[in-house]
Amino acid sequence: MKHETPLLDQLESGPWPSFVSDMKQEAERRAKNPDNIEYQIPVDVVEDIMGLLELSYVHGRTHWKHGGIVGVFGYGGGVIGRYCDQPEMFPGVAHFHTMRIAQPGAKFYTTEHLRNLCDLWDRRGSGLTNMHGSTGDIIFLGTTTKQIEEIFFELTHNIGQDLGGSGSNLRTPADCIGQARCEYACYDTQDLCYDLTMEYQDELHRPAFPYKFKFKMDGCPNGCVASIARSDMAFIGTWRDDIKIDQEAVQAYIGGEFVPNAGAHSGRDWGAFDIQKEVIGLCPTECMWMDGKELKIDNKECNRCMHCINVMPRALRIGDDRGLSVLVGGKAPILDGAQLCTLIVPFVKAESPYTEIKENIIEPIWDWWMEEGKNRERLGELMKRQGMQKLLEVTGLEPDVRMVQEPRTNPYIFWKEEEVEGGWDRDINEFRKYHQR
Amino acid sequence: MEYEEAKKMIVDGLTKKMKTKTKFYFNDLAKIIDLKPREAKKLINQMIQDGTLEYWSSGSTSLYGLKGAGKQAHAEHED
Amino acid sequence: MAFISSGYNPDKPMENRITDIGPRKYDEFYPPFIAKNKGKWLYHEYLKPGVLVHVAESGDEVYTVRCGGARLMSVTLIREICEIADKHCGGYLRFTTRNNIEFMVDSKDKVQPLIDDLESRKFDAGSFKFPVGGTGAGISNPVHTQGWLHCHTPATDASGPVKAVMDVLFDEFKNHRMPAHLRVSLACCLNMCGAVHCSDIAILGYHRKPPIIDHEYLDKMCEIPLAIASCPTAAIKPSKVELPDGKKVNSVAIKNERCMFCGNCYTMCPSLPLVDKEGDGIVLMAGGKVSNRISAPKFSKVVVAFIPNEEPRWPTTCDVIKKMVDVYAANARKYERLGEWAERIGWERFFEKCELEFTHHLIDDFRDPAYFTWRQTTQFKF
Repeated sequence: MKHETPLLDQLESGPWPSFVSDMKQEAERRAKNPDNIEYQIPVDVVEDIMGLLELSYVHGRTHWKHGGIVGVFGYGGGVIGRYCDQPEMFPGVAHFHTMRIAQPGAKFYTTEHLRNLCDLWDRRGSGLTNMHGSTGDIIFLGTTTKQIEEIFFELTHNIGQDLGGSGSNLRTPADCIGQARCEYACYDTQDLCYDLTMEYQDELHRPAFPYKFKFKMDGCPNGCVASIARSDMAFIGTWRDDIKIDQEAVQAYIGGEFVPNAGAHSGRDWGAFDIQKEVIGLCPTECMWMDGKELKIDNKECNRCMHCINVMPRALRIGDDRGLSVLVGGKAPILDGAQLCTLIVPFVKAESPYTEIKENIIEPIWDWWMEEGKNRERLGELMKRQGMQKLLEVTGLEPDVRMVQEPRTNPYIFWKEEEVEGGWDRDINEFRKYHQR
Repeated sequence: MEYEEAKKMIVDGLTKKMKTKTKFYFNDLAKIIDLKPREAKKLINQMIQDGTLEYWSSGSTSLYGLKGAGKQAHAEHED
Repeated sequence: MAFISSGYNPDKPMENRITDIGPRKYDEFYPPFIAKNKGKWLYHEYLKPGVLVHVAESGDEVYTVRCGGARLMSVTLIREICEIADKHCGGYLRFTTRNNIEFMVDSKDKVQPLIDDLESRKFDAGSFKFPVGGTGAGISNPVHTQGWLHCHTPATDASGPVKAVMDVLFDEFKNHRMPAHLRVSLACCLNMCGAVHCSDIAILGYHRKPPIIDHEYLDKMCEIPLAIASCPTAAIKPSKVELPDGKKVNSVAIKNERCMFCGNCYTMCPSLPLVDKEGDGIVLMAGGKVSNRISAPKFSKVVVAFIPNEEPRWPTTCDVIKKMVDVYAANARKYERLGEWAERIGWERFFEKCELEFTHHLIDDFRDPAYFTWRQTTQFKF
């Protein structure tokens, strides 16, 4: 190793996979180069990033600077510029830019595709990645400015694959595993995700939004991709008819033949399964009961929290009249504090080509936000600033009591003139006929 | 609006402000050519394509500037 | 190191250029049994920690073995993952949202050889490459950000604290003995590229010192109006400064008491660094969730205002987290998430049980939401 890393070395012990050990094996392989790869960036780049990281561990401070110019021609996102502030000590990582590669739906891969990506990144980059970044992209971690266009060229020509989003763009949409391998999925998350990704490639690559915008697709209210917290527009699967009940299977759970909660609690003795306590008693709307040996659900009162289905997946199944709810305005804290998404469409069918979702929901909201949003204002903040009413106005959505947790607690309603009979223009003389000065 | 006209307005507008700053938000550009964002975007994209403008990205936000203008290129050693 | 062209012509960037092709389409990468049974799954079950079976209407069964991984991954390790997927899974695999790797096989007899193979692989220094687990009522893989490895405004490292914390929580990654699943997340500064604000336990890097101003170079390195505009709290204004040698330069002044330590100005202006050994450290938050199960999604709450960075293994952070996890596991009811438990017993009891100190820093004073977190009732516990 080129640099001593006594502090990082302490992160090699313990059972959890050590990123330090992995970086070391990569550094050693690059140094030996058994496959005679014609490395296009310094061969010791991994050793230098380890040296730099060790220095951060000594100083308790980062040694990276941001750069904003680098990118591929014509795209405003997908590349994040990074420069190290000790280039003489660590020349291999003097210029060390990140590339975001759009991930495939639900992060399914063939080994062939992954190997192609590895081969490209091995030759033209550091050989270090994130599988995956926070938004969902594959992250290629560190290459030189000159290699960026070369990588993009090979990526598009040879691997049939594009960059993801960064900056004031639509960010790479992300989805849960959905119908591919989950019985809870109320719509095809992968298809909606891919469809919107392709429909809005221009928005994804060429920034014209006030700030970032994220779509995430969750197949059911369990929310495995955290769309309600981590996206500006969350598509969460739901249904509006009855939960399907297999009464025999309910009895099998009660009788202990089937393991409750799909075996998720197998590591501890929680006692025998008690349907009253564990399912009926925990139902947030109290819409379930046992009628003799039959489990009954008052479906009209169900709010589809998924708990009973999660506990007894072999007995209870999502309904058949399926679609999704749209919630908007989620974001992390900067600036006005964290926000969760707010429900604006309780139910819409999710069927390709998703015209209603695009034309009645996404595009009017974008038009509003692009025109009215301040620089670096997320949709959720614009909603707070201009109000939910404004959002209803621009989308033409009808107000629905489902959109609020409770009605307003103040009566300070800003009535509009056209809402008040007779308007606001009145004749003072007419008034004075009946009221003295 | 004709492309050449829009381009002239953008180049003139940004050149005038060059002394104080060289990076602008998308909406600043849309205001210069007085178009709705979607209309402005088509023209501004074209200015990127022909090398009149270039992007600058903070990672979370994107800015636009006249190609090569400003201190960043030097600061980032990319000039 | 001879330069090898990809075919790209820098003089004519638009020549033969392919753009806007997006990711590869999802169904190109489905294993055959997934493609066949998509949308027709009946139920699933965790056979043991890290092992799932999904049963389809067709009677087909797919067995998934989930294993943890550091999200920082070398191509060497990815190639090893490919080798495993080729050997056991017909050349298919997937990753989860939480950086786990999932290997899928179509019959039960293929499961144990796969597990044995995964568990046998260790790095030279001894850590597991592919620990099987991360399912059910346990602690899955933390999502996290870049940290010192590749970010310019982190207040802590990311991969390091995650490794240290997961070494401590490793048994829970491999077990199903929590009251409910527990999600740990890390973001290395308050910008939260990894949005951790709804996690059961969130580890958040936080700066506590405003930027240093490099007056001599500021006007040469950055555009002052951009630095001013970058500040979310309008704490930066232009100023003229006299350098020690008497030279007058254009620079900025910072109203320190308005600074929320976000580092956005440093992104726009490299002459405003804010990282600091003593200033930077970790905030711990707890009790958030994103699922709609039983109770509504909720934000994480700040339970420890500051823990210094203790690289390389962050022992205090690890200890506090371990304590919270242990107390939660011992006290919460089955199915109860950490935040639901804290709300049921009351936060006063949570602090008592977890032996956490309540300080003024934990009372919200940031804009509107603050009031709604204060207590407007006489219902409290002694």
